[in-house]
Amino acid sequence: MASQDFLIAYLPILIFMAVASVISVAMIAGSLLAGPRKPDAEKLSAYECGFDAFSDARNKFDVRFYLVTLLFIIFDLEIAFLFPWAIALGDIGVFGFWSMMVFLAVLTVGFVYEWKKGGLEWE
Amino acid sequence: MIDFNLVPLLPELFLAMAAMGLLIVGVAHGNSVTPVICWACAAALVVASFLLFGMSWEKQIVLNGMFVFDNFAGFMKLLIILGLITTLALSVKYLEQERISRFEYPVLIVLAGIGMMMMVSASNLLALYMGLELQSLSLYVLAAFNRNSLRSAEAGIKYFVLGALSSGMLLFGISLIYGFTGSIDFGVIRGALEGLEAIPFGVTFGLVFILAGLAFKISAVPFHMWTPDVYQGAPTCVTALFAIVPKVAAIGLLMRLLYEPFLPVHDQWMQIIYFVSLGSMVLGAFAAIAQANIKRLLAYSSIGNMGYALIGIVVGTPEGAGAVVLYILIYMVMTAGVFAIVLGMRRDGIAAEDISDLSGLSKTNPIQAYAMAIFMFSMSGIPPLAGFFGKLFIFQAAVSAEFYVLATLGIMTSVVAAYYYLKIIKVMFFDESIEAFDKDIPFARRVVLFVAVAFLLVFVIRPEAIVESAQNAAAVLFT
Amino acid sequence: MELLAVFPPLFGFLIAALFGKQIGDKGAQFVTCAGMIVAALAACSLFFTVILAGHPYTAVLSEWITSGDFNVSWALRIDQLSVVMMCVVNIVSACVHVYSVGYMGHDDHKARFMAYLSLFTFAMLMLVSADNLLQLFFGWEGVGLCSYLLIGFWNHKHSANAAAVKAFVVNRIGDFGLALGTMAAFVVFGSVEFDVMFEQAGAVAENTIEFFGFELHALTLICLLLFMGAMGKSAQLGLHTWLPDAMEGPTPVSALIHAATMVTAGVFLVARMSPVFEYAPDALMVVAVVGASTAFVAATIGMTQFDIKRVIAYSTMSQLGYMFFALGVSAYSAAIFHLMTHAFFKALLFLGAGSVIHAMSNEQDMRKMGGLYKKIPVTYALMWVGSLALAGIPPFAGYFSKDIVLEAAWADHTWFGNFAYWAGIAAAFMTAFYSWRLILMTFHGPPRAHQKVMKHIHESPAVMLAPLFVLATGAVLAGFIFYGGFVGGSHHGAESGHEEVAQEHHEEEGPHQETFVVTKDGVHKKEEAEGHRIAWDKESFWGESLFVKDENDTVDAAHGAPFWVKKMPLLVGLLGIGLGYLAYMFFTGIPVTVVRIFKPIHTLLFNKWFFDELYDRLFVKPAFKIGNVFWVKGDQNTIDRLGPDGIARKTLRTAGMLSRFQSGYVYQYALVMMIAVIGIVSWFVFRGGYG
Repeated sequence: MASQDFLIAYLPILIFMAVASVISVAMIAGSLLAGPRKPDAEKLSAYECGFDAFSDARNKFDVRFYLVTLLFIIFDLEIAFLFPWAIALGDIGVFGFWSMMVFLAVLTVGFVYEWKKGGLEWE
Repeated sequence: MIDFNLVPLLPELFLAMAAMGLLIVGVAHGNSVTPVICWACAAALVVASFLLFGMSWEKQIVLNGMFVFDNFAGFMKLLIILGLITTLALSVKYLEQERISRFEYPVLIVLAGIGMMMMVSASNLLALYMGLELQSLSLYVLAAFNRNSLRSAEAGIKYFVLGALSSGMLLFGISLIYGFTGSIDFGVIRGALEGLEAIPFGVTFGLVFILAGLAFKISAVPFHMWTPDVYQGAPTCVTALFAIVPKVAAIGLLMRLLYEPFLPVHDQWMQIIYFVSLGSMVLGAFAAIAQANIKRLLAYSSIGNMGYALIGIVVGTPEGAGAVVLYILIYMVMTAGVFAIVLGMRRDGIAAEDISDLSGLSKTNPIQAYAMAIFMFSMSGIPPLAGFFGKLFIFQAAVSAEFYVLATLGIMTSVVAAYYYLKIIKVMFFDESIEAFDKDIPFARRVVLFVAVAFLLVFVIRPEAIVESAQNAAAVLFT
Repeated sequence: MELLAVFPPLFGFLIAALFGKQIGDKGAQFVTCAGMIVAALAACSLFFTVILAGHPYTAVLSEWITSGDFNVSWALRIDQLSVVMMCVVNIVSACVHVYSVGYMGHDDHKARFMAYLSLFTFAMLMLVSADNLLQLFFGWEGVGLCSYLLIGFWNHKHSANAAAVKAFVVNRIGDFGLALGTMAAFVVFGSVEFDVMFEQAGAVAENTIEFFGFELHALTLICLLLFMGAMGKSAQLGLHTWLPDAMEGPTPVSALIHAATMVTAGVFLVARMSPVFEYAPDALMVVAVVGASTAFVAATIGMTQFDIKRVIAYSTMSQLGYMFFALGVSAYSAAIFHLMTHAFFKALLFLGAGSVIHAMSNEQDMRKMGGLYKKIPVTYALMWVGSLALAGIPPFAGYFSKDIVLEAAWADHTWFGNFAYWAGIAAAFMTAFYSWRLILMTFHGPPRAHQKVMKHIHESPAVMLAPLFVLATGAVLAGFIFYGGFVGGSHHGAESGHEEVAQEHHEEEGPHQETFVVTKDGVHKKEEAEGHRIAWDKESFWGESLFVKDENDTVDAAHGAPFWVKKMPLLVGLLGIGLGYLAYMFFTGIPVTVVRIFKPIHTLLFNKWFFDELYDRLFVKPAFKIGNVFWVKGDQNTIDRLGPDGIARKTLRTAGMLSRFQSGYVYQYALVMMIAVIGIVSWFVFRGGYG
């Protein structure tokens, strides 16, 4: 059966996943079983430079952190696309060149929008 | 080599460029130009429809089998464009009234439209996914468009989370199909499936996941849970969009997918769609009865209507497919009309969304009341209005293919559904009238209202042309 | 022309009903009257082209029902029978329309009244011109509806409403028979078209039909069912109780619907179906017996009533009985002849009575009248004409038609023929008696009305009297003129030549009539061999529209009846008149004495043979009781509780449950989706069948 052979090609990945999960489970289980556990009050209290915690650790972030992060990822990916394109440019020829130009143009539109909207300004 | 014939993509390309251009224009001038951008987008859609008409509607597959254009795709795209223009026309005034008149709105609608047009033209699982995602991402944003409203934000987040889940399922299903057939191209998949003697379980498995992902998009039971909340939470003009257009695209996509690559596994998907259709009809009919909010009610109504449309798909005959296309068309018109009225339900600048707000509309605004009554009668399938014929053709197709149970249940649930449609009429005509709605109904909304009423009334006189073109469109899926 | 004879009343109705407010009372009256007069003239012209020139035809208007092998079209069957009926209906209706303008002068709803009258006329015309049983049924129900509406026209009167409902319900029983008969006819003939049925009647004469497990003679069954319909509509004994009550309606209605036209629909139906009835001798016997009994019983009741309209109503019933026993002895042409003359003189009597009532400020009780003849002389004279015609005194119309009916009954030489003859003679005597009782009580003697009423009495306006003169002309001349055409033979004077005439007719019989079909491209006609010829003998007058088996032809035989048979009706009529004079003019004590002596009989007659009480006890009360049981126990407690109400409650509960399911939590929604996917996958796993 052709599809069977086809799937067998993926066998190493399956083996890899199995080995990985076995090892990680073994490590966690090992420390859980073997490690000494003697909790006392000091050990269980929160520790912050010798003081008790001033506030809850979960507090609000400015949404701009996310915004910047997202924008970074988009343009980071753009660069990531550019590397293989640059390597293969000789093979894919004019069509490849213009494809990337269109892609960059679309991205530029997004960039202009973002800039004009003030997405890059902190205050 | 690379297939570089872009002619069949012209409308999409044009719309994409228009969307980007208008985005730049909008961002340069700020929110004050929103109405201009709206009408510009509508104009772009009109141009796109002219481009569609100008093209050859012969079947052509381009971009290395990624993109197909045929009679069916053309017809569905026309419907989509029509729906988008209607939504835009309905929205302009509403956005201003709700103070959410931002220029991204029309651009997002056009982008969603491009996604939908891609969906009905997809001839490859990845192209399908891409179109679907472009549409979905735009719609997520639109659902949360009124970001100052908690409900709208909630609607957006719910839609996004569940939509992501369904996309994940869809992708998983696609990967399974790829795994078992070795291709993502519709034609190749079909060939592979036809070559199989027994259908491997993995294929069925993949099919289940793909269908689950798509059922979410048409809000079919049991993947419908998001619908009432999102319909209620989203700004009403966005709800109108949700109710009118994505259904067309998703049903078109579903038909192409099931009738082209997956026809050899008809037995399998038939069972799934059968169940989904049945569930949608029953839930759509029963759950709507308990609703007091008209947008929620319309959500359930759309669930039920999708159930009826799915009957036509289950049948698996050209007759059934034609009935589905016709049904969707009529459903679109009715829904557009209903929303034209719901959008006008405002008192002193505040939107009123309860059914009881319609009390005595026949006295305060008889024209709207009669128009609404026509829509409601049509939705409950009372002859000679168009809605009756939509159901009639569906049930005929079901009966002639011997799906008696589905047809019977369909008729029974439409009787139950008639209850809440008629209840609205009762509220409008027989309840004590309360304060009148605000009078300023924009011209565009009047036009939509008039066209919808006229279509529903006149359809009975010369149905042949529309019925035939719907059937011709659906027939190409079977060649 | 046939369209002009049938459709003007419909247009009159539509205009008066829809635009009554806009065009006002005057406009509505004008439109409807004009429509009727046009229709009447058109009908007369049809009389010349169809009957005198002998050109019957069928005009197909459109397809109606096409379902499997069941085809029915809207068509006007314009043959001799329907043309006679159309003439009668249209002329009387036109008179009544005009009369109503005056009579309803003080009413608030003139437009509605005129509209109903016109609608009725249209329905009646559809009935008589039907070319199949279904269209006939349509007209039949139409006249029933209008009768209901018009009896209850004064809907503020409780008694009028009750009478309307009674008429409707009693007629429903008959209609049920008619509907069943139509269905049975379709089963037997495979069609409800008259042409098809008549052609096959002879061929299927021996067929039987399974009905409730009994093998029955098919044609007898059909005929009896149809006759049941006829009994209801024509108020024959058993289903007659609605007719006297129907007098609650305005008097023009009584004249038009409950005397001249609608009630004769039953007679028409049997005559129309004569080719079928001829092959069902048992059914004919039933028709004759029922008719004769009705004639007798109604006449006895008529003698005791005091309401002027009720007396005439019972007289109508009695005369309808005459027509039916004529039908029963196969004397169809005689029945239709009597129908025609009766329409004129009975409409005249009713309208005359209406004129009296109008003059007396709506008083109908004869005991409160008297001494009117000087105050309303014209009405008085016209009532005399009508009564003379009714009593059968020569040369008035009733004399000719009643005599031929009675002679035909005698000439049948069967037991029911003889029964009918003697019942008819008795009824004729009573008819003359109560007619003069009516005239004398109303117009002679001392005035018994209140002084104020008497002062107010005035002759009716011209618009009411003119139609009366038209009808009076008919009542005087119709019998004399049409005797030869309708029933053949010359009239009484020329019996000697009769044998030869009859002989000739038999020779002439044969398929020399052609049916003419009007299509869009014109009239196709085939000239008769002998060309145009005035048809003035029975066979060519009626053409093929009536069918009598040779051995049953009692009308021809009637001309040869012995002298005493012929003169008996006249004799008893004169006797009755004389007795009337004796009892109510000269020795006014007689009635009281007679009533005292024959107390039980009088009670029986005065209470209409206790039919109403009997029905009330037998049917109405038990029906109410059973209905109550079904309603409370069956409907409310069982069907409603488990059916509509129960389902509705369940539906609402389900709806509430389903909407509670919608929790609003995203994770639950996601869970539902996952469960659904897993569920579907498991379904496929457990169904199995995978490699």
